[in-house]
Amino acid sequence: MGAYIVGGAVAKVDRHFDRGYRDLAYEVTKECSGCLDVDYIVVSSALPELTAHQVDLGTHIAQWLGRRVPVIRVESGETSGLAAVDLAASLVASGRGRKVLVLGVEKVTDYPTYTANYFYSLMLDYEFEVLRGVSPPAYAALAMKELMKDGVRRECFSSWAVRMHENAASIPHAMLRFKISYDSFKDSQVLAEPLTLHDSFALGDGAAAVVVSNSPDPKASSVEILFSAAEVELPAYSRERISDLNASSKLLKLSLERYGLDLRRVAVELHDSYTPYPIAILRSLGYLDSECNLSELEYLNVSGGLKARGHPIGATGIYQVYEVFKLLTDKLGGKTSPSDYGLVHSMSGPDNVSRVLILRR
Amino acid sequence: MKLSPAQIWRIRESQYRLVITVCESCGKKSAFKRSVCPFCGSGNVKHMESEGLGRVLEVTKVLYRWASSDERPPSLVAVVELDEGVKVVGEIVGVGTDEEVKEGTRVEAVLRRYASDDPYGVIYYGIKFKPLKTA
Repeated sequence: MGAYIVGGAVAKVDRHFDRGYRDLAYEVTKECSGCLDVDYIVVSSALPELTAHQVDLGTHIAQWLGRRVPVIRVESGETSGLAAVDLAASLVASGRGRKVLVLGVEKVTDYPTYTANYFYSLMLDYEFEVLRGVSPPAYAALAMKELMKDGVRRECFSSWAVRMHENAASIPHAMLRFKISYDSFKDSQVLAEPLTLHDSFALGDGAAAVVVSNSPDPKASSVEILFSAAEVELPAYSRERISDLNASSKLLKLSLERYGLDLRRVAVELHDSYTPYPIAILRSLGYLDSECNLSELEYLNVSGGLKARGHPIGATGIYQVYEVFKLLTDKLGGKTSPSDYGLVHSMSGPDNVSRVLILRR
Repeated sequence: MKLSPAQIWRIRESQYRLVITVCESCGKKSAFKRSVCPFCGSGNVKHMESEGLGRVLEVTKVLYRWASSDERPPSLVAVVELDEGVKVVGEIVGVGTDEEVKEGTRVEAVLRRYASDDPYGVIYYGIKFKPLKTA
């Protein structure tokens, strides 16, 4: 028995000071046809214990939505969203559920940014990394320096951010819907030398939903969940190099080879928390030359990615799945995928765990 | 109380003494006192204490704000390869105004303050690194 995505909806990624977890959950399910006609709910959220003092968020959201069906919350750091879709696919494939609402929701802007940054830093190992003063942008900066020693120019990382902002400008639910220039990097706040704020994802609140069903919907567009895989990598400090994102590279390479896919023709949402990471991944897959020309990768992060659509941590994976679903069945940013296949990639921290999902229309 | 004395006490051998793990199955060494080798998954491991000397492989000056400025001023964070062949991450402290920390800089482990429950609570200590003075 297969698993299919038969619908979904997303809220704008933003600083929703006037909305909490349950408000965002309600808002997104209200916009989603069939989202509440389900017999199971999987809630994806990474930080509610820290940002909202809330344990068992799934149950409280189900109560708020007036649903009495089984509910479970999934948390796997920044990959929570893809982990939740993976679980939902297993639930319908096993017959445990017929239709599963996968609801990603995150609130990260209720505190000063430095507090939110600390919560986000807990994606790393608290005892052996965070306590020792190591934060996610420190790793990203170290990875960037390694890549620059390989000959990758500063402009290469900047070009990723410029492209993501260009893409997000036409995405209604994106957080940063404006373009940036190469010049803007000169004045961008430094997070960890040489990494700047413009090399970093945008942190925002968000909610996104998809419905995973055991059969295609005859009345609506559906895509099949063809492949879902995950791999855990060594801690970054134990690798040969920080920029060796081997789990991500391996899973994406496997996906492309198994289904004969070419990233130049396939809709793909790549996890780009910090610019060195997608650059490292694309280089490892052989899709980036020394000029870092991204123009041939037309369907790459059409959403603007974590960089510009924004990164509501535990909800981000659901946004990515929804966006590829839209590219396969309708339009996103004025584009429709020419291929029947679409890829979603997510990772937590510097590739501590990586997940890949393949969808087929 | 935000910090747990028990939590830091449990990991004291890794945080205070820089104990490392040697796998008797694959032969690789890994940072911290572990029960299982992170490279091959074997539980056939032994432990040894690092001499606390090493060299910087890569370093970055961190200005990212992830706590109040009092708690986390700008810092140098580095990947350090210990002389025993193990890589660890940590802060570099005690850098003189005329010193530059870069790839290859020799460092030694020192015990420094990690965090505290301000103003009267528990203080966490652990290993950081400082440049080794050359004669």
